[in-house]
Amino acid sequence: MTRPSGAHLSSDEIEACVSGAVSPALQQHLEECPACMEQVRVDREIVQLIGALPLMNPAEGFADRVMARVAIPDPFALRSLQTTRRRLFATKKSIAVAATLVLALLGSMAGSIAWSLAHQDTLASLGTWLFAQGGQAIWLGVQGLVTNVIEQPWYAGFRSLVENPERLAALSAVGSFLYLGCLLALRRLLAVPTQQVAHAGL
Amino acid sequence: MPSLQPEWASLSDQDVVLRARSGQESAYRELIRRYERPVFALVFRMVRDRELAEDLSQETFVKALNAIDSYRPEFKFSSWIFKIANNAAIDHLRRRELDTLSLDGSPHAETPEAMQATALQIGARQETPLDTVEAKELGTAIEAAIGSLRPEYRSCILLRHVEGRAYEEIAEILNLPLGTVKTYIHRARNELRQSLAHLKE
Repeated sequence: MTRPSGAHLSSDEIEACVSGAVSPALQQHLEECPACMEQVRVDREIVQLIGALPLMNPAEGFADRVMARVAIPDPFALRSLQTTRRRLFATKKSIAVAATLVLALLGSMAGSIAWSLAHQDTLASLGTWLFAQGGQAIWLGVQGLVTNVIEQPWYAGFRSLVENPERLAALSAVGSFLYLGCLLALRRLLAVPTQQVAHAGL
Repeated sequence: MPSLQPEWASLSDQDVVLRARSGQESAYRELIRRYERPVFALVFRMVRDRELAEDLSQETFVKALNAIDSYRPEFKFSSWIFKIANNAAIDHLRRRELDTLSLDGSPHAETPEAMQATALQIGARQETPLDTVEAKELGTAIEAAIGSLRPEYRSCILLRHVEGRAYEEIAEILNLPLGTVKTYIHRARNELRQSLAHLKE
């Protein structure tokens, strides 16, 4: 970059000189320009003075006071009530949002109760209609199911079996024995072994 | 018996943050230990009141550590916490503009003890009484000169020359364009030069 004759250093160039990054061109200008040299010298002194300001410590127990107000997350908890409460009341914005939600919830509940009290007849007729419709739907469902079962090819055999009590009793007995046998086998499978396994000697 | 605590010094800020996120209290304390001094120093030189600086620094850490999940590791932790601290200080200054700058202590201190307790502690590094007096005078003058700067200039100059932060990082911390940061620092130094001109004589 070329500088017009007689022009002084720009703020960026002075900054470069103050921070020690003096290029040969800048160095030459400083040697020829007492005003810029003086400015750089004073700025360096100021920077040194600021850098030499004493280090400062907060009062003793600072970390404890901070930690008393910090909620450390529990990695095993999904979200503790305390954390939720803390986040809810963390900022004015979150408090405002929470308050709005609570007010909306309470308002809708109150509105619902008020409307119900003022329209009891409507509610009663609506309830009766819903009950009748529900009953009708259930009855239609049962009818459909029964019709469907009756139309199955195995229904005739099943009916003849049910109509003969001796065969039904024999079939029930065989079914019960099979069921009990399966239960016993399952229980043995799920029982905790009482002896150590030989190769698991830990 | 070997300690179960990690060698904190060998861990980066990002690693310590990861441990804090997993619920290690010692990691939180390590973050406080690393930044309590620079954060306090920045806030104190911004607000010029020890008691207030304690409160604002405490608020800074509480806010940062309670929101540790929202910290993005691709940015420097130092930038993040300095940003919170600076915002706290600037917000306070905007809310309550300090009318006078007392070098003898907090402008809000009412008793002599409170004044002494909140006074600037300068000269601790000096050796001879004469040096101490001179350094105290110089330190007091520079503190006063920094205190008389606009808050934005003050943040820039402190972050640059006390904390040694790069221009880019200062721009990130203060949420300002890079050129603005450079201009602020240049103007701040010009004002300091004028404020301190009497010391030359």
